[in-house]
Amino acid sequence: MAFDISTLDLDAIERREAAKHKGSTLKLVAAVGFALLWIVPFYFLAISIFKSSNEYSRNPPLALPEGVAPLWDNVTRAWELGSMGQAMLNSAFYGTVGASLAVFFAAMAAFAITRLDIPFRNGWFMLIFAGTVFPFQMYLIPLFFGYQKLGLLNSHMGMLLFYTAICVPFPTLVLRNFMSGLSREMDEAARMDGASEFTVFFKIILPNTIGPMTAVFLLQFTWIWNDMLFSTVLGNRLETRSIMNALLVFQGSYSSIGPNIVLTAALLASLPSIVLFFLLRKHFMQGLQVQQS
Amino acid sequence: MDRAAKDIELLERIGMDQIARNARARRRGQLGLGLIFMAPALLMVVGVLLVPVLFNIWLSFTKWKKFTGFGEYAGFANYERMPSNPFFNEAFINTAIWVGASVVFPIALGLGMAMFFRNLRGAETFKNIIFIPRILAPTAVGVLWFYVYAPDGLLNRGLGLVSGRDVDIGWLYNDATVTPAIIATFVWQTAGLVMVLLLLGLAAIPKDPIEAAHIDGANRWQIFRYITLPLLMPTLLMVTILSVLAGFTVFDLLWVMGANYPGQRSLALAVFMYFEAFQKGSWAFGSAVAVIIGLVVLCVTWLQTVLQARVDRMTR
Amino acid sequence: MKLKGKLLGTAVGVMLAAAPALAQEVQLFHDKGFWSEQLQAVGDAAGEATGVTIVETPYANAEQYKAFVQASIASGETPNMFTWWTGATFAELVSSGQIAALDDLWDEMIANGGYGEASKELFMVDGQAYAVPLLLARWVVLYNKPLYAELGLEEPETWDQLMANADAIVAAGETPFLATVHEGWRGFIWFQELMLRMHPEAYNGLNDGSVAYDGPEVRAVFEAWSDMYAKGYFSDPRSTEEFNDYVRGAGAMYLIGEWAAGLVVEAGVPADDLGVFIMPNAVEGAPAAVIVEGSPLVVSVDGAEDADTMEALRYWVSADGANTWGEQTGNYIGNDSANAPNAIVAEVNSDIAETGAAAYLRWWEAVPPDLQGELVAEMNRFMLDPTMETADDVMSTMQTLNAAYWADQ
Repeated sequence: MAFDISTLDLDAIERREAAKHKGSTLKLVAAVGFALLWIVPFYFLAISIFKSSNEYSRNPPLALPEGVAPLWDNVTRAWELGSMGQAMLNSAFYGTVGASLAVFFAAMAAFAITRLDIPFRNGWFMLIFAGTVFPFQMYLIPLFFGYQKLGLLNSHMGMLLFYTAICVPFPTLVLRNFMSGLSREMDEAARMDGASEFTVFFKIILPNTIGPMTAVFLLQFTWIWNDMLFSTVLGNRLETRSIMNALLVFQGSYSSIGPNIVLTAALLASLPSIVLFFLLRKHFMQGLQVQQS
Repeated sequence: MDRAAKDIELLERIGMDQIARNARARRRGQLGLGLIFMAPALLMVVGVLLVPVLFNIWLSFTKWKKFTGFGEYAGFANYERMPSNPFFNEAFINTAIWVGASVVFPIALGLGMAMFFRNLRGAETFKNIIFIPRILAPTAVGVLWFYVYAPDGLLNRGLGLVSGRDVDIGWLYNDATVTPAIIATFVWQTAGLVMVLLLLGLAAIPKDPIEAAHIDGANRWQIFRYITLPLLMPTLLMVTILSVLAGFTVFDLLWVMGANYPGQRSLALAVFMYFEAFQKGSWAFGSAVAVIIGLVVLCVTWLQTVLQARVDRMTR
Repeated sequence: MKLKGKLLGTAVGVMLAAAPALAQEVQLFHDKGFWSEQLQAVGDAAGEATGVTIVETPYANAEQYKAFVQASIASGETPNMFTWWTGATFAELVSSGQIAALDDLWDEMIANGGYGEASKELFMVDGQAYAVPLLLARWVVLYNKPLYAELGLEEPETWDQLMANADAIVAAGETPFLATVHEGWRGFIWFQELMLRMHPEAYNGLNDGSVAYDGPEVRAVFEAWSDMYAKGYFSDPRSTEEFNDYVRGAGAMYLIGEWAAGLVVEAGVPADDLGVFIMPNAVEGAPAAVIVEGSPLVVSVDGAEDADTMEALRYWVSADGANTWGEQTGNYIGNDSANAPNAIVAEVNSDIAETGAAAYLRWWEAVPPDLQGELVAEMNRFMLDPTMETADDVMSTMQTLNAAYWADQ
């Protein structure tokens, strides 16, 4: 497309570019300001853990701490009084074992639904997915009494059973979608070579599904780690409490000890999630994409 | 009828019965195998999730309270009690407010932030910062914001600094401010996720129509309204549905932040149900409330499927 | 194979033989997590003294605990030994038929254990006693002795004196009374006390449907209460750190159960700085009265048949057990042959002996359980906005709920 360069108003173009540039600097400043405001609560959390109870009540919330010393005291008191060690072990156990089992079961089910020749495929899938359709409130009372009758109340196995079950439907959806997109050539070839369905599943499908499986594992692990309601109802005793349940109990029974210690407890309880997020950010974001489909 | 069944029918019609029979047998055989693969998932979901739902529904038609009355049929008595219970009504209204707010605010804020941060330098960092609240557990967020909203806490002090006067609002203690305050915390926690999801959706929008419109002289607002927004519909719809369900089942935040609020039981239906069942021991009534929550959630989910199908048809 | 079998057999034999030598254990279920350590100390002392160790098994909050007990009873597996609450909810528990009557044990306790009939009455339903005390706490006013001395104040013997003390404290720039709505249950504390002091004749009527929550007596209570708030007598109700607040001097006087004395001292108040008096009556010439909280320890029907459980229970009510418990927590369980757990309890005991104060059950236990949560929420609401406008609203709400409940009975 030819045009006469003399028709261009270079000054005007220059002015427009400069304006855009200034506009974008302003935008940047506004963005930074907004982001800073957004994380003020975290800043508040970060400095409160360094304050002693007296310091906290004396000084304004955003005042800098007077020293680093109280941190150790806060952490030890929060850890001991809140029984966080036991609770973290519990949640770690529920999260890793529960989410892994759930994702594995989901993969098996997704395999059956997408790769095996069975009638009512969609029906089976809907049956499994129905697990996510109902709000949690509908599970609470029946599970409470059922567990009580079966002696599963306040037991590690009982909690594990529940967490695994509730984490099955969503991964089934995700993995079903993913597996239906996998090319069939590999398994057809394997089947023609005489491989059993089990071999096809373990040696071919699973290795190719690791990506989405890791992503949903992370999502489900986080859900289990964050659970408070079901631990309160089904496993409230010290031995089986989840970490968020322990935090709740700590805040409820010991809030008179001082906000600085309770906030320390909240931070301790959240540390694993934060660490996990930063280490595995890519997978988390992948998990979101997966959630969107 | 699916493809395999059609194949079998075809085989039968051309007289290859034996082959058809073999195919059907293989299919049934595959069903057995399929069941083996699906068994763990099915057993878990049906046993631990679906059967309890049925039990809950049955329970809501009985009269069970504290130590007595298990299994006594009571018809719709529990449901009839609801409209006359002032706490139920208030909880219902509050839940409706929650659903509305949890759709409007996170999406408005998330969309605004998505558009704003999209082409900015260092967009990744901003994205992460806005998103971080989402990785914390609602319980921990509730504890943190409980102290932010405390009478001598962060918010009041901040407002005091800005306005020059002493601000002493009991955010979590006053009827008028408790729900908006907790909604604000909820938005803080979820806007990041909405923003990221919308950014993914925006990234999927093709650039050509937008560039063409630019050249044709359309301004930013017109482009947004007539091109971006419609193409963003599927993502927006999904985000809306997620938000509605999240707003409906908010519990942790209300439990932690509303702990000292006298009317805690009327903050939401989910909280009301817990109080009725576990504090007052009205198990059957609590089950009925849970059924109501379930019905509404199911309606919303059904609505989603319908809308999703319609949107899919439109964008095709 | 044979060797393995032999080893196994020997192991089993050794275990069986060693079994009687292993300490017996009885589980005590409760919801008072803040006393876990102390309860276990008593449990261990029981183990040393009798060979039966009590293992305290806490539940994190009252709702969960209640739900657990209700579910257990409903399914026929009542825990052998657990704590509960007195009053109407106690009657409900007894009506389930799963709790053992303990009249024989009480006869022993009264005859040679140092207990009184008055204590037994708190735990009686239809003429039979169904529990022993976990604690008997009188609700008293703890006060700041140094501040009183500094302002030249004396323990009030009349209502007017109490108000005068409060005025003096306000004039000196301090806050007279500490009271919060923390944890959602505290609203009834001042309500019940004012009710008892101003209209003792109507106190019990509140909880049998005969006195209306919007009647003249309750209205008088709210007027006085609102007036006291208007004069600046109370501390900020929104605080979440009552004990720390008392330590920091947020209130000179603290109306609370005796059991708080130990907790307040633990939070940093020197024991000598803590004084106590029973709130005086506002009505001239009314008989001395004190509100008592009795926390019951119950055993199930099966538990009563179990030798170990009864052994543990006997240790609990003995002077030895009472002393251990008293040392650990400062709690009094009604055993006067044991040492008074601390100076506060000793003083309260002598006050009551002197005035012959009658014991009134706490509103918290006396109120029908169905109304408890909803009514106390209304009282909390008043405390957060202590105007007569709010009081009108609160009173009418409370009476609506109250009337609806009694209409159903």
